[in-house]
This record gives sequence, C-alpha cells and structure tokens, in this order.
Amino acid sequence: MEQILATTLRSAAPLVLVATAGVFAFRAGIFHLGLEGLMITGAFTTVAVGEATGSVELGILAAIGVCMALSAVYWWVIGPLGANVIIAGLGLTSVGLGGTAFALGAIFDRRGSMFTDVVLPRPVSGTTSGPGVIVSEHSILVWITPLIVLAAWIVLRRSRFGLRMTAAGEYPFAARTAGVNPSIVRLQALLIAGGLCALGGAELSVGALHNFTENMTNGRGFIAFVAVIFGAWHPIGAAFAGLFFGFADAIGIQSQINITERVPREFVLMIPFVLTIFAVWLGGLWRRRSLEAEAGYAELREPDY
Amino acid sequence: MTVPGGPASAGGPAVRCRSLGVSFGAVRALHGVSLDLAPGRIHALVGQNGAGKTTLAKVLGGLQAPDAGDVHIAGRKLPSGDVRAARAAGLAMVHQHFSLPPSFTVAEALELTAARPGGRSVYRRAELHQRWQDDVAEIGGEAVLSTRIRDLPVETRQSLEIMRALATEARVLVLDEPTALLAPAAIDALFERLRRLRDGGVTVLVVLHKLREVAAVADTVSVLRDGELALGPIEMSEVSQGRLSDAIVGPASQADRAVGVEAATGTERRTLLELVRVSSRESAFEPGLRDVDLRVEAGEIVGIAGVEGNGQRSLVSVIAGLDVAAEGTVLIGGADATRAPPAGRRLRGLRLVPFDRNSEGISRRAPLWLNQSALRLVERRRRRLPLISLRQYKQQAAMEMDQWRVRYDAVTQPAESLSGGNVQRLILSRELAPGLEVLVAAQPTRGLDFAATDFVRRSLRGLRDAGAGVLLVSSDLDELFENSDRLHVMYGGRIVARFEAPYDRRAVGDAMTGARR
Repeated sequence: MEQILATTLRSAAPLVLVATAGVFAFRAGIFHLGLEGLMITGAFTTVAVGEATGSVELGILAAIGVCMALSAVYWWVIGPLGANVIIAGLGLTSVGLGGTAFALGAIFDRRGSMFTDVVLPRPVSGTTSGPGVIVSEHSILVWITPLIVLAAWIVLRRSRFGLRMTAAGEYPFAARTAGVNPSIVRLQALLIAGGLCALGGAELSVGALHNFTENMTNGRGFIAFVAVIFGAWHPIGAAFAGLFFGFADAIGIQSQINITERVPREFVLMIPFVLTIFAVWLGGLWRRRSLEAEAGYAELREPDY
Repeated sequence: MTVPGGPASAGGPAVRCRSLGVSFGAVRALHGVSLDLAPGRIHALVGQNGAGKTTLAKVLGGLQAPDAGDVHIAGRKLPSGDVRAARAAGLAMVHQHFSLPPSFTVAEALELTAARPGGRSVYRRAELHQRWQDDVAEIGGEAVLSTRIRDLPVETRQSLEIMRALATEARVLVLDEPTALLAPAAIDALFERLRRLRDGGVTVLVVLHKLREVAAVADTVSVLRDGELALGPIEMSEVSQGRLSDAIVGPASQADRAVGVEAATGTERRTLLELVRVSSRESAFEPGLRDVDLRVEAGEIVGIAGVEGNGQRSLVSVIAGLDVAAEGTVLIGGADATRAPPAGRRLRGLRLVPFDRNSEGISRRAPLWLNQSALRLVERRRRRLPLISLRQYKQQAAMEMDQWRVRYDAVTQPAESLSGGNVQRLILSRELAPGLEVLVAAQPTRGLDFAATDFVRRSLRGLRDAGAGVLLVSSDLDELFENSDRLHVMYGGRIVARFEAPYDRRAVGDAMTGARR
C-alpha cells in the first residue's frame, strides 16, 4: 500500500505540473495539444545541458528557456499567423518528440536512451519500510509541486491577472472592453505553460529517473490535457485529476510487479487508460449543465457593425 | 455646430470627432464623420443597420482604431484604439452586446472591467466583495456579488453594464443600443437614469433604433447613413419626425414593398397549428411549458407576449420539433406531429423565423446561396436522382434573394457579411416559400432598423391575408398590438391571459408581470 502511494506521488508530479500548464493555456482560450512536445523537450534539455555543465540547476533553467521559446513560436504561429490551434499543437508535439530523438543522436551519438549522473536532490531518502516510504525517494520537484499548484490557484482565481486571462479565453470581447489585448494575454499564458512543462519533463528525466529515453513521456502530455478537462480547468481540480491518473498509473505499475502470474501484462497496462476514459465520461456528465448555459449565452453575442 | 476655440477651452464640446474614417475590407463603415457633442446633454445617434452607429461608438470607446481622423475628449486628443486611454479621459461605454464574461461572478466582472483605481492585484473574496458592495446596492445588494453573470436576468445584466461604466467618474457615457433587449418598463427606467446623469453634468451619447425612444429621451439627434453624417447634431425641438425619417432612409431610397406569398391553403377557417395541454422540460434559461393550449387558424396572426424568459423559447422549440413535448399533443395541419422530427414538420407546411437569426437562422460561414437553398436541398423528393446542379441552385437562390431585395454582391459571399436586416430578408426568402401553411416568427424584428422592421411586419400581414397562419412571438408590445388578431400572454411557462383586439395595454402589461392571473 505504501509503495502504491509513493508511486502515485512520483507518477502524478509530472502530470500535475503539465496539467497546471494546460490549465493556464485553457483559461486563456487555447486547447494546448503541444504539452507532450514541450514536456519531452524539457526532459531532454535538462539532461543535455545538465550533462554539459554538470549542474542540474542550469539544466532546468535551460529547459525552461527552451520551452518558453518554443511556446513563443507556437503563439506566433496560432496568433499572428492564424494557424489552427489544434494542428499547430500536434505539430509542436511532433517537433518535440522527433527533435529530441534526433538531437540525442546528433549531439550525444546515442540511440534510444542515455544515462545521466545529473539528478535532482531528494530531501528524504533511505526509508525502506513503514509509512515513511510514502515520502521517501521523491525529488525536490515532487515536494514543491503542491506549492506550484497553490500559486497557480492564487494567480488564476484570486488575482486581476487571472481575471484578465480567464476573460481573454472565455469571452475575448469582454477582455477587449476592459482594455486588455487577448493576444498578449495568450502569449503570457503560453510562456507560463512552457515553463511548467519544462519542470514536468525535468521531473521525469532527472527527478524520478536518471536518464533520457526517446518518447519517454509516452502520452503523459495528453493525459495531462485530459486532466485539465476532467478538472474543469480549475487548477485544484486539474491537480486532483492528475493525482488520480498518477494513482491509476501506480496501480498499473504495482500490479505489473505483483500479479503478472495471473493477469495478462497487456491488460494491466490498459488499466490507466480505461480509467482515463471513464473519468472523461464522468467529467462530461458533470459539466453538461454549464455547457448548456454557455450555448444559451451565445445568442446574446451578435457582432454587427 | 462647431464651437470655435483652442484646445481644452471650457466652453468647448465634450466630445469632438474630426473626419473619422473606418473601413472593413471593401466596406466603408465610416467616412469623414465630424461631430461635436455639447457637454451635459443627451445626444441620440440613429441610422439604419450597417449605417456605422456601432462602429462610431466603438471608435469613441477606443475599441476600434480609425483609419482616418481623431477623437478629442474635453479638448484633449485621444490616442486611437486605446480603451484605457479613453477611460482615463472619462469616457465610459455600455456595449450593444453584453460585455461581461458569463462564468464570472458579479464581483469578478466588476473588478475586471471597471476602471476603478485602488485594490490589490492579488485579493481575497471578502476584500473584493467589500470593494464593490456599495455599487450593487440597487441591483440586489451584496448577495448579488457572488452570482454568476449568466444567472442574472437580462435587465440586471444591463443595469450592471451601466453601473460598471459609471463606477469611475465618467464624464461621457456612450451607450450602444441599450434598449434592444429591454422590456418597456426597463426602458423607461433606463431613460430616467440617463436624465439624472445628464442633470449631474454627464454627457450622454446613446445609439437608438426607434424614433419614439429618441423623442422620449434625447436633447439632440444625429443621423448616420451609409457611414456618413446625414444630419445633426440638431436640437430635437428643431426637427420633425418626417425630416428624421428622410435623413435615415435617404432621399432616393423608397421603403420597399413587402413581397406577397402565395400560401397553399384554402379559404375556409381551418386550424393549422394546435397545441393541446402541452408541457415540456425546463431549460437552463426558461421554465418549460405548462399545460399550454394554443391554436392558430388559417388567415390569422396570433401574438405571444411576455417578458423574456417566460417560456417563449420553449414554446417555439416544442412547435419546431427541436424540443419534445413531455405531455400533450402538437398538431400540425390537423395531424398529430408530437413526435415528428423538424424536417417532417416542415413537410407539413411549418416554417420558422428563429429567435437568433445569426446563430439559428443562418450558417454564418456558409455562402449565401447555400443558406438560401438549404431547405430546398433537404426537402427534395426522394425519387429524384441524388445529384444536383450547383448552377441551378445558385441561380434560383439569386432569384429568390433579388425578389426579397436582399442586398448582396455575390451569391458566394458568406452570410455573415450581410447586415442584420438583410440576414432577416434572406431568412424570409427561404422560409416563406411555397408550401408554407403556418409560420412561427420569433422576435422577427429585434435589432432591425425601422425600414427593415416595417418590411418584415408587412410581410407577415401579407402572409395572413393570403390565408396562412402566423404565430408571432415578440417582446415589442406595439408590434403585437398592431399586427395580432389575437394575443396570448405567457408567464412562467403558462398562457395566463388571452386577449382580442382592441387591446388594453394596461391589462396586457399586468398579465405580463404576473400581477393578474
């Protein structure tokens, strides 16, 4: 049981970080399907720069910088250039997945994966039994993730900046009448999201593990996106959704270790995804009423000049 | 009307526009508009749909940067297209479309949109409520602060918009068609409020549609026509209604005649549409129908009055087949259609002018010809080959639209490029086609200028005279009184009163507000 909870925290941390990124983007009105690409770019850049400089802090800073730069490019493509948000987002994901695999070969001359000694510090470690196992062996990023979620909640739900961001996403006309440029607000949201994705990726490569592997995000960016929807684009809701998916993942991992004798491996691997589908269906039921209300409001907007 | 004097002179106009020009692609929304508004007065701005009224209001508010010309407030030039600068100069705006995000609470919406100095950038709920509690005293006090915008009634939303605009010490208030969504009593209250503001020294510019409203509230009036200033600002006492109408419509143009439609009905009075004890589920916005009995016969217009949100939408949805009656029977042409799908009801002669023409009546992005011929495509006889000739459809669409005087450049242009009145003509040209027996017209003239309004009303009457049945749902009492042969009042999902002409405005009003059951 303790093992499952510990694994839940470890699996959930990157999901929660990236889901928080998704919440920022969603609030600003962007269906961000580039989360996966930013996440893997963050994972790779941390390892690459960490290896080159020997410093994990520099690695993470570089990852944040690279992910923000990519986010700015994404904004430029969907904003000023007017590309389709979904397609550009999927493109960003492809660039991230393909680009990191390519860079792995081009820079380090490796195929598939590379090991690294540069890792995040772990505040509590060495506990092997009892309830202490739950908090043991977690990287510093796992510990500060709740703080980041809390900060996101304050920014989005208790600050003027958050009001402007939500208005820009939900009803750009309202933002414009308040003297806010929705496009700039979107850029800000995407930059924040980029930084958070970098952290999520870094946790994956130098927090939980000691290596970078091609496609190591393995769909986590998309699951995080689902957590955003499931959590009704509320930072706390999305964090709990991320925690839930982390739990599903942990059950998958643990049962793989414990019950592979009796249950086919493929079935066990399926569990988190089945739970995800179920969760999305449930989330849809809850939100139907508010969506209906939105549709009714739409008729009051009748842009005429 | 131009007042001489240097910048910031005390006796100068409160607002001065100089040769404003705005173009959207090939459309000239404003051209060479120069306008001075004297301080401390109520100025009305009128004109047809697409005359540039909203564009002018947006330029003043800083939401639209002009291509040419500039705006001065109290002698100071405004940077173009800058909402914050306009506000800082003391100009506040109430928009035609609600400008508050629906998911926000009232307190959040005020914090977002009202330019009141002070307050912290990170706040606690209680702090926010304290900051705004005095402002909301007249719309329900502190309790309303945590209500979401989308849960507020239309009147309250409107009050909130005005309140938001006045939360700062606004010296100039611009209102863009504030009466379009209001019930008559609320309009009177709004005008009273504007007069109080004026007496307090605020300069008011209000965009209006109805000349009656202009006469009721304005000190001066200005007319825009095709993006140019056709008249004014001129004192209301110096201008006749006739001169105003001429200025609005223009010298060469004549009010066009309604197009007659050959209705496919016989002469005897027969029931075309009947609802027997119909009840339906409530929606997020409205009560459902409760025990509604209704009958529309050939050759009559039955009016449905009521304050918005009392089940009119449910009624139209149940008749059109978009919503299912939970109980009771819907008969179209004498046959049971309770379970019939919308297309089946159309085949029996039911046609619909929906509440919201831009989202329900047309597909905004689709080309005109497709919008016009959609029904012909749907209702094609099955036995024919499943092939169509685009050229033939386009030609027919062009013919129909010409007959209804839709103003357009090409049948391939998107429907959203038409002005409100032309969109309504397009819808009429589609719905009032052969085969029509009974028409449900929901708010058919809302937001239309008076020429288009007149056209639509005459079309409805022409339809009745040709032997069709019309169910007219409206929140405009004058429209109902002038056009209905019988009038029902809806309240809380029921039909609570039935009237026959001549109508007693007082009695109808009492029924609408639930004072009489």
